[in-house]
Amino acid sequence: MRIGDAKHNYEADEAIFSSSTQKIWFALFLLALLIFPFMADAYLMYLGCLVGIAVISTTGLNILTGFTGLISLGQAGFMGVGGYTVAWLSMNTGLPFPVTLLLAGLLAAAVGILVGLPSLRVKGLYLAIATLAASVFLHFIFAEWESVTGGMGGLSLEPAHLFGLTFQTDFAMYFIIVPLAILMVLAAKNVFRTRIGRAFIAIRDRDISAEILGINLLHYKLMSFALSSFYAGVAGGLFAYFFRVVTPESFPLSMSIFYLAAVIVGGMGNLLGGILGAAFMTLIPEVLKLLTAALTPFYPNAPIFMSPMLEIIFGALIVGFLIFEPHGLAEIWHRIRRFFSLWPFRN
Amino acid sequence: MFKSILNKSRRLAGIGSIAAVLLAAAPAMAQDKEPIVFGGSIPLSGVFAFAGVHIHAGLTDYTSWINSQGGINGHPVEYVMEDTGYEVDRSVAAFKKITGSNKVPVYYGDSTGFMKTIASELNSRGTTLMSGASFATALTDNEQYLYQFIPGPNYTQMLGIILEYIATQGKDGDMPTVAFVYSDTEFGKDPIENAKAKAAEMGIEVVEDIVTKPGSVDVSAEILKLRRVRPDFVVFHGYVLSPINEFMVQMRQMGLDTQFMGTFWSSDKLIINKMGADADGYMGVMPYNYYDSAEGGPMLDALRAVAQKSDPDAGYRPTGYMQGWFNAMVWTEVIKRTMDAGKELTAENMAESLASIKDWDTGGIIGIPVSVQDMSFPVGRIWRVNAKEERYEPVSDWIHLD
Repeated sequence: MRIGDAKHNYEADEAIFSSSTQKIWFALFLLALLIFPFMADAYLMYLGCLVGIAVISTTGLNILTGFTGLISLGQAGFMGVGGYTVAWLSMNTGLPFPVTLLLAGLLAAAVGILVGLPSLRVKGLYLAIATLAASVFLHFIFAEWESVTGGMGGLSLEPAHLFGLTFQTDFAMYFIIVPLAILMVLAAKNVFRTRIGRAFIAIRDRDISAEILGINLLHYKLMSFALSSFYAGVAGGLFAYFFRVVTPESFPLSMSIFYLAAVIVGGMGNLLGGILGAAFMTLIPEVLKLLTAALTPFYPNAPIFMSPMLEIIFGALIVGFLIFEPHGLAEIWHRIRRFFSLWPFRN
Repeated sequence: MFKSILNKSRRLAGIGSIAAVLLAAAPAMAQDKEPIVFGGSIPLSGVFAFAGVHIHAGLTDYTSWINSQGGINGHPVEYVMEDTGYEVDRSVAAFKKITGSNKVPVYYGDSTGFMKTIASELNSRGTTLMSGASFATALTDNEQYLYQFIPGPNYTQMLGIILEYIATQGKDGDMPTVAFVYSDTEFGKDPIENAKAKAAEMGIEVVEDIVTKPGSVDVSAEILKLRRVRPDFVVFHGYVLSPINEFMVQMRQMGLDTQFMGTFWSSDKLIINKMGADADGYMGVMPYNYYDSAEGGPMLDALRAVAQKSDPDAGYRPTGYMQGWFNAMVWTEVIKRTMDAGKELTAENMAESLASIKDWDTGGIIGIPVSVQDMSFPVGRIWRVNAKEERYEPVSDWIHLD
């Protein structure tokens, strides 16, 4: 039985895993992720990959919005930069996927820095509109720079490849997407154990106080934008390799809202929240569809009446979460953990 | 004695029951073949739901009709679908789910985006032939989209048919002038460059070329441009309704005698329902007969009978319904031809069967026998709105592009 977590030094307080129980659960989780592709059918495999991509992008946005307090509606645009970079590079240079993904992340980060420039002067809703404008601008470039982006028709690309191996199926892509998602979440976790991450949090909590403490606001805000956009760029690159086609319509504004909603529903400023939010937002519509499937044998017209209802139920679920659990899914998870940590003394 | 009568009755009842079960099972045993699954990513919600629900109804009704006719070579047909909300990732999810739990030889795709996205998987799987709501020109590129076809003319061919019609409307040897108005989407831009090239070939001058947001309302600046060049025809593409209505009403108020035309998704009753008398004279290219047209034929009659039976209160069935039905008709023909040739239902064999369709009688759905060319049916007819009658009437013969 484990009761509470007593920390005896700073290292223990900063540790990624606060107890051996956590390490065991994490190892089991990794094992489950490893076994999953061998057990899952094509549909679950597809959803697994989609959740992996969503986790990377949501984690990126969480760094910016959840930890640095800079709201952004440009995530889809940054993902688009990553997606087009990968598509163009793979079509024109034949570089292997680790290189194209890295370059996609770096180019998206560079664009993120440019978009983040107004963040020193504006914040909150004003910054949201500035990033929205950037998103629209990027969409315009995707649609009109035909010689590079293929215009509205977009680009089709070859499967990801490395050392003669071709990653054509969802099964193969899973082994790129999921390890990368784990690595990038762990990397993000590490960022918040450093001076940089603490500066982000200080800026979020009170930027004027942070500046008085000697934190260079422009420097760190731009760094946060760069880091967040890097994640988006890599997620966009994976998106391109996964779907093997990118068009301007692959990265609509609604996608930015989707990721922002995932951060809020999961729990802002909490990496676990980003993961849970991404999984929730991706999977719940599919789970709701099972409702329709269950009704169809009894009522053949169920899909026609239920489909619009599912959109409403999905929206209501999000609103319900925000009202009853404003700290998101991560808080529910922490409550469950606390229950087991303290049991049987308090529940 | 009573006991013996009872036993005899029981024996008779037993024999009778077995006979009844066998009799009842006989037709089922005749049809005791593996079902053929029609799969579909259908937009029952989202921005394309206005068409999706009718496409779904067309596919559902055709399935029940073909089963009432004994299925396909004795194989019953099962229609398995999922709502996609007209979102590519959800369409892909539906495809994976449906093909993961069924053997699906033919599949309905709800958008160009989805059909492009899934193309590489379709090509590598080689199990499924796909058509759907998209008439995108790109999908008729046989090298890239091996197993996808268009259930009618593609958008380039639609504009080709419109231009053929326009060419016949010149007076005193002069060709009419035309302006293209299209939406700033992949859908809108699709055929424009090809159409300009064809117009140049035919000697039709394209006097203006306007791109707008789909659903735009304020188009006064664009209308002023058109007023300056006074085109004989304005061809809309890439819209469902707006801004077609705005252009028509305002240009007529300016006293211009321009004629207005549109392609498949902007040539349904919606224009008449929303514009009323102002819709009079609007023309559309349509590869199928309208549900309420005066045309007939065994399949068109069967369609109307099934539609009436499945939903007696529905009345007019939109072009999405006709499109869904025709899709399923083509699938049936392709599967039948493949089976009759003794071949397996692979995508390659079915694509070959599709390509072999020549002078096919569609029973009145399309008014002339049709042939497949480059994975599409390049045929259509120009119809004109009679606002008083609230319907489209044909103003040209069926035009089959070579």
